[in-house]
Amino acid sequence: MTEEKRSRRELLKTVGIGTGLVALGAQGGAALRSLVPNVSYDAPTTVKLGPPGEFPDGLKYLPEERLFVFREGRVLHAISAVCTHLGCTVRAEALSSPETREVGGKALRLTHRFLCPCHGSRYTGDGTNVAGPAPRPLTWYELSLAADDGQLVVDLARPVDRDFRLTIA
Amino acid sequence: MEPLRAASFAKRDRTILAIVGLVLIVSTGLFAWSDRKHDWRYYQAEFVRMVAEKFGAAKASALPTGTQQIWVPDLQRADRCITCHQAVSWPGFETAEEPFRTHPKDILRNHPVSRFGCTSCHGGQGYAVDPQEAHGPIEHWEEPVLGRQLGESYTLALPPSSLMQMNCNVCHRYDRSTPGADAINLAKSLVTEKGCRACHVINGRGGTIGPDLTNVGDKPAEQYDFSHLSGQQTAYAWHVGHLKDPRALVQDTVMPNFHFSTKEAQALATLILSWRREPVPASFLSGAPRTEPQTPEEKEAEAKMRTGPGAWFVKTGCFVCHSISVYGVKSPAQIGPDLSVAVEDVQARFGRTIDDFIAAPTGTMSVVLSRQIILSPEEKQVAVQKLREAFAEHQRQKSAGTSTAKADH
Amino acid sequence: MAKPLATAPGIHPRRFWSVRPRSDREAGDAVTSNFSLHWFPARSFRRSLAWSYSFWLGTVSAALFLLLVLSGLPLLFLHIPSVERAYGSVKDIEYVVTFGSWMRAVHRLSAHLMVAAVFLHLVRVFLTGAYKNALGRAQHREWNWVIGVVMLVSTLFLSFTGYLLPWDQLAFWAVTVGTNIAASIPAIGPTVRELLIGGRNIDQPTLLRFYVLHIVFLPGLLGVLFAYHMWRVRKDGGLARADQLGLAAEKVELPPSPTKTYSLLGIARGTGPTVRSTTLQAPDELVNSVPDLVRRIGIVVLGTIAALSMLSVFVRSPLEEPANPLVTPNPAKAPWYFLWLQEIVTDTTFKVGSLTINGAFLGGVLLPGALLGLLTVWPWLDRSPAATAGRWLPRNRRFQNAVFLLFVLGVLLLTVIGTFCRGPYWHFYWPWEAWPQVPSRI
Repeated sequence: MTEEKRSRRELLKTVGIGTGLVALGAQGGAALRSLVPNVSYDAPTTVKLGPPGEFPDGLKYLPEERLFVFREGRVLHAISAVCTHLGCTVRAEALSSPETREVGGKALRLTHRFLCPCHGSRYTGDGTNVAGPAPRPLTWYELSLAADDGQLVVDLARPVDRDFRLTIA
Repeated sequence: MEPLRAASFAKRDRTILAIVGLVLIVSTGLFAWSDRKHDWRYYQAEFVRMVAEKFGAAKASALPTGTQQIWVPDLQRADRCITCHQAVSWPGFETAEEPFRTHPKDILRNHPVSRFGCTSCHGGQGYAVDPQEAHGPIEHWEEPVLGRQLGESYTLALPPSSLMQMNCNVCHRYDRSTPGADAINLAKSLVTEKGCRACHVINGRGGTIGPDLTNVGDKPAEQYDFSHLSGQQTAYAWHVGHLKDPRALVQDTVMPNFHFSTKEAQALATLILSWRREPVPASFLSGAPRTEPQTPEEKEAEAKMRTGPGAWFVKTGCFVCHSISVYGVKSPAQIGPDLSVAVEDVQARFGRTIDDFIAAPTGTMSVVLSRQIILSPEEKQVAVQKLREAFAEHQRQKSAGTSTAKADH
Repeated sequence: MAKPLATAPGIHPRRFWSVRPRSDREAGDAVTSNFSLHWFPARSFRRSLAWSYSFWLGTVSAALFLLLVLSGLPLLFLHIPSVERAYGSVKDIEYVVTFGSWMRAVHRLSAHLMVAAVFLHLVRVFLTGAYKNALGRAQHREWNWVIGVVMLVSTLFLSFTGYLLPWDQLAFWAVTVGTNIAASIPAIGPTVRELLIGGRNIDQPTLLRFYVLHIVFLPGLLGVLFAYHMWRVRKDGGLARADQLGLAAEKVELPPSPTKTYSLLGIARGTGPTVRSTTLQAPDELVNSVPDLVRRIGIVVLGTIAALSMLSVFVRSPLEEPANPLVTPNPAKAPWYFLWLQEIVTDTTFKVGSLTINGAFLGGVLLPGALLGLLTVWPWLDRSPAATAGRWLPRNRRFQNAVFLLFVLGVLLLTVIGTFCRGPYWHFYWPWEAWPQVPSRI
């Protein structure tokens, strides 16, 4: 057989099998891509909490999100009310005299401390666990303003460090 | 090895195989392309442009992309309308063309989208992401979007977007009148005025001369007799025609002709089609009280407890377990003894003064005072003082013969 | 120093099976070292490979089955077999799953085409008398035919169980009709129905039962039967057409083959059993399975996949309203491959005086049961000479072929009538007559 014939034969064979494999591979890939969900049936983790105007200076507790939102002038931050021991909801107790401490490198005025009624864990106003069985401090979550209607939004899938502050206009 | 002698058809077969491979590639490319070809991609890109123009690039880049869905588990509805109708909660697009128009704010205040979805009010096929299939009318989906377009196709004498009130009434069925649902309100007032219940069971009560209309909205369209109806063959059109002239559609009917105007007939037809067997969770039903208001007496008693002489015990939470009867503070749980006589009682039980006991409590109180009710030293002094005041009041009342405080275990 | 044992018999040097044997040794080790040759003989009868002999319908059916399994796997992750959630999950597949509507279309079209292909394969096998044993020696093609009929019924049952799964109106009412026909069997009918449905009414147990049958037992059964079907073909010496070569060879006295023997002692002493091989005597009639047969199989399988990929882009899968036990669609039709049955049931339901003949039992169970039974045992009832195996429409099978074709055309005609001529209320409409408008709610 001539070289030309042989290479043409090889080419056709390669084209046939090659394209077949590529196409089948692509179809297999398509099948896998179909298993990546495009819509979520979970409860949304970003929750609109209301316009900033509804959050007074001091502390506001949101029972559905189990979240404390603190406001001081134009600065807000949010601390979870879920005890890090076994998940009970902690209680906020006003301090007899508020103290200012440096938290995450910035000054923070602490007006409350947190107590868990289930097993007696205690946290300071910035969420640090100081007594009882709680293994970790209370989580801080990211706050932002919704792009569309300007409501305060918490992202319960995004914990943040304790230097997080949301400053609004 | 034995020399391989190719079959005579081998060459032709190889060509066919190559062609088959190419067709396979082309079809793979085709289906991948057809998956990307959706109107919503265009609408989302357009909205990004609109937001960037109006509010700046930063806000535009925060827009979500891809199919979006509102999942309402209570109603088991997955609504994907917001894939195209992204402007629903963006103020500033009130006069834009659909799908870029802001949703009217008032109704959303007590019908938030996250709780109701879109289709439970507007109708349409929430599952779909393409306009024709989402809005309808489309085969195999009974309820198209009940909006202006459908209203105009019926040349409604009512405002063209009134058909949506059919869905309002699914929840607001037992309201006498619902603010904002004018067509339904008109229809309900007609039902009362004209006495439809004389012959028909409506919402569970009425007469039996005519058919039971409680769930008539569920009656399948094929079961209506359209032989005397010209024009659109829909259940809605049938009801409008029937209300305007019953004998024209049902030869041997005894239903009188009420000479309804077109507007009244259309309003009534909207009401009739809303009478469906639709499972609505109780928390969605209007009219069912959603709070448990206190009676005036309860309010007064509570105010007295919070502001009266026993207010300190209420504020600290002592009253949860202990009554302080001399001040009228009633404990809900009454686990512990009456604090009015604590001064005496502690001495009798433990052989200690009240000051001493508060400073170093034993038993249950040691748990409570170290975990649940934590008092600073100053507060403890206040506690002792308050207890002594309460005891003094108890002695005063006893000598006056009015105290009922008892030390019981 | 002796050479390493890498080339000793039984040792296969490569990590994986090879596609094409590279030496006589490897061809000889075929069953354990070469994938294709564990299935196909080293050489195949070239006329068995002809496009116009078999139209490769069996391979097409197998390719479609493969496609159904492959497209079914992602759908398994996406479909939810619960009566509350099944419909929504299918809507999700159509609208929000990437490539979902295409995969569903592939699955649905493959199912429809597989029923057609399997049926055409049966027709072809009948018309070529390929259930016959021309050489006679320990051949049992009649059993392969029976296996094939069982596979046909399994395919239809796979289809039946599959289309309940979306839980839409078509699904619900088609299963209602089907199980009611089963209930019409005297004595055992209601029990059969109750076992199929898992209760008295079609509900969650039915869906779950049909689901498990559809994804586990029926595909498993079909897979096992397919393997047996292939094995039987090898054991019977290939396709029926290959018997023609054997018959031709029998007319010639075959000398013992000089290169094939079963006994080492035979070589040494020359007195072992000798092999007379038709395949060695007629090399022009044979092709090497690798590559010629395998290449054609590749064409058919890849071609089937290509055709279906293409079709699925353009043909959308319908989904009717959610299943509603209170509302029967009008007309309520079975899918096209059962429409001939539905038509027979209609036509065998009639009154004779005051007696009503129950079409469900007569037309839905007895008649198709009798036809199926006749079909199954036909190889034993067939009196035509065995030598006609593998020949298209031979003269001495004219009568049975004609009658068979008549039945086939009858089934096709009934299917056409059921599809195009039956409108609301199952009234008869000529194809050019318009059906009455279907009213809608609003």
